[in-house]
Amino acid sequence: MSEEIKQNSYWKSLKELSQNEEYKKYTEREFPEDASEMTDQVSRRSFLRVMGASIALAGFASCRRPVQKIMPFSRMPEDRIEGEPMYYATAAPFQDVLTGLVVQNSDGRPTKVEGNSEHPASEGRTDIYDQAGIIGLYDPDRSRHIRHNGEQASRDQFIDFASSHFADTGRRIAFLSEASSSPTYRRLRQSAEERFDNMSWVTFEPFDEEESLEGNRMAFGRRLRTVNHYDRADVVVALDNDFMNPFGHKDSVSNAARITRRRRVRSTDDTMNRIYAVESTFTNTGSFADNRLRLKASEIEPFIYALAARLSQQVNGLEAFANLNNRFSGHDWIEAVAKDLADNRGASIVTAGEQQPAAVHAAAAAINLALGNINETVSYLEVPHQGEESSRDALRQLVDQMRAGEIDTLVLTGTNPVFTAPADLDFESALEQVDTVVHLADYVDETSRNATWHINRAHYLEAWGDGYSYNGGRSVIQPQIRPLFDGVSEIEFLNLIATGEWADGYDLVRQTWQEFIEGNFEQRWREILHDGIDSRDNFAEADVSLDGGFAAAISPHLSNNGIDGIEITLKPDATLYDGRFANNSWLQELPEPMTKITWDNVALMSPATARNLGINPDRHLRDTDTSVVRIEADGQAVEIAAWVQPGHADDSITLTVGYGREGIGRVANGVGVDTYPLRTSDALYVKPADVTLNGRRYEIACVQDHHNLEGRDMIRKATIAEYRENPEFASFESFHGFEVPGLKEGREQGIDHPVTLFQPQDYPDHQPQWGMAIDLNACFGCGVCTIACQAENNIPVVGKREVGRRRMMHWIRTDRYYEGDEENPKALHQPVPCMHCELAPCEQVCPVAATVHSDDGMNQMTYNRCIGTRYCANNCPYKVRRFNFFNYTKEFLTTGDDPEIIQMAMNPDVTVRFRGVMEKCTYCVQRVNRAKRKSRLETGSLKPADGMVKTACQQACPANAISFGDLTDNESTVSKDKENERNYVMLEELSIRPRTSYLGKLSNPNPDLG
Amino acid sequence: MSKTYEYVHEPTLVKGDHDFKSITALITDINLRPTPKAWYAAFGVANLLLLVMLVSIAYLIWEGTGIWGLNTPANWGWAIVNFVWWVGIGHAGTLISAILFLFRQNWRTAINRFAEAMTIFAVMCAGIFPAIHVGRIWVIYWVFPLPNQMAMWPNFTSPLLWDVFAVGTYFTVSTLFWYVGLVPDLATVRDRIKNGIGKKLYGIFSLGWRGSNRQWWTYEKSYMILAGLATPLVLSVHSVVSFDFAVSVIPGWHTTIFPPYFVAGAIFSGFAMVLTLMIICRKIYKLEEIMTIDHMEKMNIILLVTGMMVGFAYLMEVFIAWYGGVEYEKAIFALRASGPYAWAYWLMIGCNVLSPQFFWVKKFRRHIGLTFVISIIVNIGMWFERFVIAVTSLSTDFLPSSWGYYTPTLWDVLTYVGTFGLFFTFFLLFLRFLPMVAVAEVKNVMPQADPHNYDEEGNYIAPKVEVPEPKRES
Repeated sequence: MSEEIKQNSYWKSLKELSQNEEYKKYTEREFPEDASEMTDQVSRRSFLRVMGASIALAGFASCRRPVQKIMPFSRMPEDRIEGEPMYYATAAPFQDVLTGLVVQNSDGRPTKVEGNSEHPASEGRTDIYDQAGIIGLYDPDRSRHIRHNGEQASRDQFIDFASSHFADTGRRIAFLSEASSSPTYRRLRQSAEERFDNMSWVTFEPFDEEESLEGNRMAFGRRLRTVNHYDRADVVVALDNDFMNPFGHKDSVSNAARITRRRRVRSTDDTMNRIYAVESTFTNTGSFADNRLRLKASEIEPFIYALAARLSQQVNGLEAFANLNNRFSGHDWIEAVAKDLADNRGASIVTAGEQQPAAVHAAAAAINLALGNINETVSYLEVPHQGEESSRDALRQLVDQMRAGEIDTLVLTGTNPVFTAPADLDFESALEQVDTVVHLADYVDETSRNATWHINRAHYLEAWGDGYSYNGGRSVIQPQIRPLFDGVSEIEFLNLIATGEWADGYDLVRQTWQEFIEGNFEQRWREILHDGIDSRDNFAEADVSLDGGFAAAISPHLSNNGIDGIEITLKPDATLYDGRFANNSWLQELPEPMTKITWDNVALMSPATARNLGINPDRHLRDTDTSVVRIEADGQAVEIAAWVQPGHADDSITLTVGYGREGIGRVANGVGVDTYPLRTSDALYVKPADVTLNGRRYEIACVQDHHNLEGRDMIRKATIAEYRENPEFASFESFHGFEVPGLKEGREQGIDHPVTLFQPQDYPDHQPQWGMAIDLNACFGCGVCTIACQAENNIPVVGKREVGRRRMMHWIRTDRYYEGDEENPKALHQPVPCMHCELAPCEQVCPVAATVHSDDGMNQMTYNRCIGTRYCANNCPYKVRRFNFFNYTKEFLTTGDDPEIIQMAMNPDVTVRFRGVMEKCTYCVQRVNRAKRKSRLETGSLKPADGMVKTACQQACPANAISFGDLTDNESTVSKDKENERNYVMLEELSIRPRTSYLGKLSNPNPDLG
Repeated sequence: MSKTYEYVHEPTLVKGDHDFKSITALITDINLRPTPKAWYAAFGVANLLLLVMLVSIAYLIWEGTGIWGLNTPANWGWAIVNFVWWVGIGHAGTLISAILFLFRQNWRTAINRFAEAMTIFAVMCAGIFPAIHVGRIWVIYWVFPLPNQMAMWPNFTSPLLWDVFAVGTYFTVSTLFWYVGLVPDLATVRDRIKNGIGKKLYGIFSLGWRGSNRQWWTYEKSYMILAGLATPLVLSVHSVVSFDFAVSVIPGWHTTIFPPYFVAGAIFSGFAMVLTLMIICRKIYKLEEIMTIDHMEKMNIILLVTGMMVGFAYLMEVFIAWYGGVEYEKAIFALRASGPYAWAYWLMIGCNVLSPQFFWVKKFRRHIGLTFVISIIVNIGMWFERFVIAVTSLSTDFLPSSWGYYTPTLWDVLTYVGTFGLFFTFFLLFLRFLPMVAVAEVKNVMPQADPHNYDEEGNYIAPKVEVPEPKRES
């Protein structure tokens, strides 16, 4: 704009007016100010049209209802009850895997995702990314328009462009795509390949499966996907592999479910698997393991070679490693692990993390083969959508071609290479050499800002799609709502480019599925949509044998001995992954499962490394800030807050990516530090670096300031051997050596509780009585319970400053304690919701009786009665009560110009809380009451059958650690858990009788490793 | 056989050559003189601070309790500390006027009036905090047992509710007691004042006092009855305040020693505050002959005694924590002395236990400057005592995972500082318009009021009392 037009100045032409900033802002907003006053202009006809459409589509994809005018249905759609949510099966794509979901759809808008128990990758459970999908959908900062050279454009304009531009089929076209398992997407790719004469296709994910595919190629000659059946293994050796967490492995939900199934010890006769973890940073899988060895990430390679060499003495097939001698040969761990593996042939798994080099994966595959684990505990799948070439090489070639001006048109779907591609490729400058760049993206991100066309993408909850689970289960993704911002799905986008014509996603998917469905299409199609899964095993299991060239291929790697000096490890972030969830406020505020840090990424290092750098690892309780370090590698440097992680490998620093964004959205902007500049294509994950203290301090919002249990009895644990000797190890008496004070006197009075002055608030004659048990032997601290609870219970996001002041609002938190040696501690996880004490101390002190007990044994919070003295929170020994110090909900729900968007994420069954009131876990009382109503209607009893009520945390938990139900039903799971000898309650001596109890933690360490 | 003892001649309470008339003039002239410039200056400062308080409270109500440094383990911070501290200060006045009255401690007459005024203003300052610290001040009336159509009563098991009653009763009775004591003096001012409006106002508030025998008789009976009523309240109000803590389950709060410990601490801090104010007032208003060094010494002895009681309570808490064997209780006392708030704990011990030890020495007891300094130190120490109790227990309680440090914000500080504005605004108005010493009562304890034990020349003769020799079994 050459001459500045002042506000309120006269305009001469419409063009000039349209350049007025004020006017531009006005037109860009979807719900202009004073929209409510403009409703008269909405004609009755258009209103009926909208309503008609919503009724017509209610069967499959429910619609947004108009915001301004609400009219009752003149004819009620069948099967629809106002206020009763509908549940639809769908699936969440993440990279090239799908997780089956059941989405709760309240009044036409998805409000909560839950796992689909029919789906093999979910089995009814979910991970944090799935749970946060809801707030991802209603993110008001998502891109809302198609943009052409930064200017807003219409879809028709883009369609016109696409049909004319791509009509020239001889163009040099390159496609750069995110990983996708969708058969429709694959079909469209093929049609593009047929249409365009000079096209290339590159799949790019910053964190992918490439190393393990290449490792399997090295071992077996083919790029195969590794599937570990953790439920079948007695011994698991995880090498730098956080396979239980979604940022560690694509199939984490299923992995966690399977491995914890082997640890569901309910009696002394039950057995337990044994997990070894060898890793650099302290992961949840490492904390769950029975034995953990901390090694630098680069030392995993010599470690596995030494292990293979040691095993070659006992089993055949590892001749390639025979006679190898390196720094780990003769290590205690090598001896102990090799013995355990050799004793458990066919029932063990050796697995390496995705950030380990291909040779490590190859060695792991060879070990599994030699141990006879293949087809027992490990299988290999042929995954059709994973190409035969390394995508790394393909990307490098593509960038070279771009730079040479050989690419005319670049089409990018989903991926954001300007931000995520290895720094040495300098993707941004290469992009300048391309004439036309078309980018489909959720946000106007780093790549979109350099693109000719930015196409706003539809969220998976608002678009049709399909795909495969990790193991090959095929599903259809069905939308839950019409696209909020008229987004375009990746298949619609690709179809437009491949055919030059627009087609709806629905038709595209159905067209693909004609091939899969035999017989009556409509009937089977409906069944598939209903079930959320078609057929399970669509990937052929490969019959593998060691490749002839294996010994030769691996031999050049065998001399690798790790990096000397300080190395850095670049990992996907626990909550933001590669940065794709950067604008997701639930994930930003979810504490990182080990460090408990929110809203930031840090440089993790061991206490010893910190001392060497001049950082004092001891933190005072009042410290909120931490030293900043400068990390320099290959001429690139980042300055990032240092954080001491006990149990981290020395001389190793873990960094996570995805932060330091600008121009993405209100949540992502300015949070954390971008560490991608340190990533280069020759060393994507691990490289040496120079680290110096830079003298600045940086504030970190960490939700847990004290990490030592101080010898207290909150977490009670035993090894499996100790458990067999003393099954009552978790009792108060076993822990302390004396009985709970007052218990004797209580028994004399004929009660099996300590004596109390208070009138018990449990109503023993009333049925049901609710209770919860949390199995600490299953919990590995992933934090999905927290985010599921947040989604279910309308918990607001409060932001970094408030979290830093210890005012987080999460109703269920996971406490993490370190125990033992500072350099190599154990980490213990404990989810803590409200305990629903029968003699609740909070209830006694509230001056206005705002927190009271219900007949069915729940401690309830009456928000409307609360005046906010916070006395209850003070008197809560578990500190589970959360106070609205500010009007958090209002701030959270009135973000931006059109707060209606984010408000749609709220669960209509749960009150949103205002400033000045206390809140806390309700045992999902809305779910309990719904189940009671349903039970009353169906059976006439107010006592729902066991399993009918699942709390949000319980439902999401991949480890099945939480049981909830009726305590008056002796057959209910929770009653059985509470009868278990491992059951204990926290702070039993206070005689407040919590309804939430814990099952003591067990471990199965190798006695040879002390 | 009996023995005759001679009473030791007590030092006269009013020094100097005063008769009834000069006493009246000395005290009430302060109210009758034109307002000094210095008073306006002080009143201006106090008003400014009052404005700070009002702004802080307005912002608090507008924005929410989040403007304070509260967090999840420490849901109570400065507001509750200030509340307990001000209530504690509000202890001395009623104790001096009621309990010392019942014990016939005549020296109380010099200080009871303004000590009571201090009490009332301190309780007003205290009362602000529980009201404003709630999240939703607009429904604060729900703590009162108001009949309503939902039959919804407050929760009578909550110590906060007991607080409402205890502090409310204490404030009402203290105010009544103070006012009843004021009536004869208001009449004195009424009789002496020239200004017509003043005469009317003092006339209204002196309730038609004529000084008749009948009126004196009624006055003294009612004063006695109110003293009897106020006496248990002195002990109950801080006991009830201590229940806020003692009734909870939190380690460091859940102790039975709290009621006597709190009362002793309250008397301690209240006397210190009276001393601070007295030392300033006697100097400015030249009342050294009424508020004498002897008074100061007596009060310093009380400081020493209550300081030792508080010190004993500190030791007892630690002993019981160890002897009781509850691990969380033991931990909290170890943490207080060595944990993140050790600085506050040792500051408290230094101020409250060590600083009064000077008063073992008579010379120090009678030293004005030292007394002034120590009286201020004691009040700082007592503020930190409440801080240590309230904050350390919360910030490091049962589950180590929820431990967290509490740091006040600017608004915490401003609200607290602002309450001094409220206090001094009222106190300065009191000094200006009401007789700051109970004129009638002081006259009562002057030698002139006693018609006995004087010879013809008007010299004092100690009375002789015969005491029978105790019987001894041989």
